[in-house]
Amino acid sequence: MDIFNPYYLQIIMFMIVNAIMGISIYITLATGQLSLGAAGFMSVGAYVAALLTLKLSLPISLAILIGGLCAMLVAFIIGLPTTRLQGLYLAIATLGFGEVVRVIFLNLDITNGALGLSGIPSIAQEITVFFYEIGLDSIGDLDAQTLGNIGLVLILLILLSLLIFFCVRINHSRIGRAFAAIKADAHAAELMGINVVYYKMAAFMIGAFVAGVGGGLYAHITFFINPTDFSYHKVVQILLYPVFGGSNVVWGSLLGSFVLTLLPEVLRFMADYRDVIYGILLVVLMAVRPDGLITEQVVERIGRRFGWIQEYKPTAEKQVLTERFQRMRAEHLDQPKDNSR
Amino acid sequence: MLIQQLINGLTLGSSYAVIALGLTLVFGVLNIINMAHGGIFMIGAFIGLLLVTEFHVNIFIAILGAMVGGAILGYALEVCALRPLRRKQVSHLAPLISTIGVSIFLESVALLIWGPQTRSFPTEFTGSVIDFQLFKISTVQIISLGTAILLMVALHIWLKRTKIGKAIRATSLSTETASLLGVNTNFIISLTVMVASALGAAAGVLVGLTFDAIEPMMGVVIGFKGLAVLILGGLGNIPGAMAGGFILGLAEVLTVAYGDSSYRDAVAFGLIIILLFWRPQGLFGSKDKGGRP
Repeated sequence: MDIFNPYYLQIIMFMIVNAIMGISIYITLATGQLSLGAAGFMSVGAYVAALLTLKLSLPISLAILIGGLCAMLVAFIIGLPTTRLQGLYLAIATLGFGEVVRVIFLNLDITNGALGLSGIPSIAQEITVFFYEIGLDSIGDLDAQTLGNIGLVLILLILLSLLIFFCVRINHSRIGRAFAAIKADAHAAELMGINVVYYKMAAFMIGAFVAGVGGGLYAHITFFINPTDFSYHKVVQILLYPVFGGSNVVWGSLLGSFVLTLLPEVLRFMADYRDVIYGILLVVLMAVRPDGLITEQVVERIGRRFGWIQEYKPTAEKQVLTERFQRMRAEHLDQPKDNSR
Repeated sequence: MLIQQLINGLTLGSSYAVIALGLTLVFGVLNIINMAHGGIFMIGAFIGLLLVTEFHVNIFIAILGAMVGGAILGYALEVCALRPLRRKQVSHLAPLISTIGVSIFLESVALLIWGPQTRSFPTEFTGSVIDFQLFKISTVQIISLGTAILLMVALHIWLKRTKIGKAIRATSLSTETASLLGVNTNFIISLTVMVASALGAAAGVLVGLTFDAIEPMMGVVIGFKGLAVLILGGLGNIPGAMAGGFILGLAEVLTVAYGDSSYRDAVAFGLIIILLFWRPQGLFGSKDKGGRP
């Protein structure tokens, strides 16, 4: 079948990995922290996972998990000073962190410097081998390799769905409400008794973990990484996903990463002008829709349209109370105003 | 040897200081970080190079030409990317991303026009070296250091002694209040962005001369270093930016001389990460403004 050709499948894989990266930015941004360190955390995850599978031949899934945890650990250390910072300071500090990590990977022996790591085991191949072992080497006209690729896409889709589920659930929890309060006003949140530094750190670390896992997946899909993969341009690319799609809702990152991964493929015939268009797109977007394409209002409207969000209906008791309150208020307003204030 | 390194560090640092001054001016007045500064810096370097190679002008006129070009670009940046955002209430994220967009645009346009290869100034500009007994200094270093110091002094006098300078300082304290007191803040903001961009473009020529390498991606790393200096000196702090530039220049040169040259580009950010542990408001920033956007 044509839609299962390796090229398309590869694009779908990148779409999903980019969506994971976009969501990692979204999670940190949920507390109002603009972290530009996603590429740095991604590279930590990618290198740790790749080295574990290459040198210690650990199972890929375990290696990716450890890579994510390492990124989280690094985030903890970096976060100690930086989560106390606000706004632009954090952006610059995390940008700096990404650069430092890149230069370190460029100069270490174990990471093979500027040449990067190659021959990283591929997940798709592992799945193909697994299919062989259970005697499943072809379905219809799909060969074993295609099956491996499809299997990988399915696994990635499951991971992405779990991540989105996690984000949606967290929004409706105590943590999510703390995040929202901090984003709206960190000082007010602190006055309400929310431990701002703790929740900022939590968001920062979760974001780093997700980015690290994304990096590990990236390494085992492309089976080749080098430090320039995680440069400033990667930072901008990743940042664009939530910003383009909408940085206030998780669906924004999803839309942004899907569209912006597909767009370069569609615009391949004008590849020379791609970055020019990207630049103009960013400027125009910020002027027209500074919150991105999907905002909270859009989600709510779509939700009501399809009946996922129920219209608020007060109970009878509440209605009685509301009416009584309104009557009292009307009476109060009838009285002559006290002008002494 | 040490004196030689100090001279090299001061020369490099003076260019960093000029870059950081542009960033800090814009931050002071608009409270945003101008990520397009590196792009304007790079275009400035190319304008200077073109003036020198195509029109065979004096290097100082080339710097002046680059500054004019930078100011025009700065005006375009203000009108296209910053003014539309100022009209509506947006988060502090929006101008950052908008200026990142401008920097991507400038870089890719430069890449289309001039190609990815590295260019350098003709040898007559990089040639002679004056040998004192203790240290050597090249004419390029003298030009670079002299121009940078001249620009800094001029900026300082302009801000402190003239009426427009006073208006800029008032606007940076509070845009609303300055506006109420009769300052045309829109004009002041445009002017500040233009002056800042002119400084960036001049620094482009100076750094292009010092390293003798001009290419479309040169703005990225230098822009980062400007940001590092900005943090080092404290956001919006002009003397801090000058001092921070010199500190970074010296630190980098000493790292290369006595440490590992491959870690040179990490020094800037290593420095600020350490600094952020200890003094988040920057070396010269006041405590109560520390870390506040």
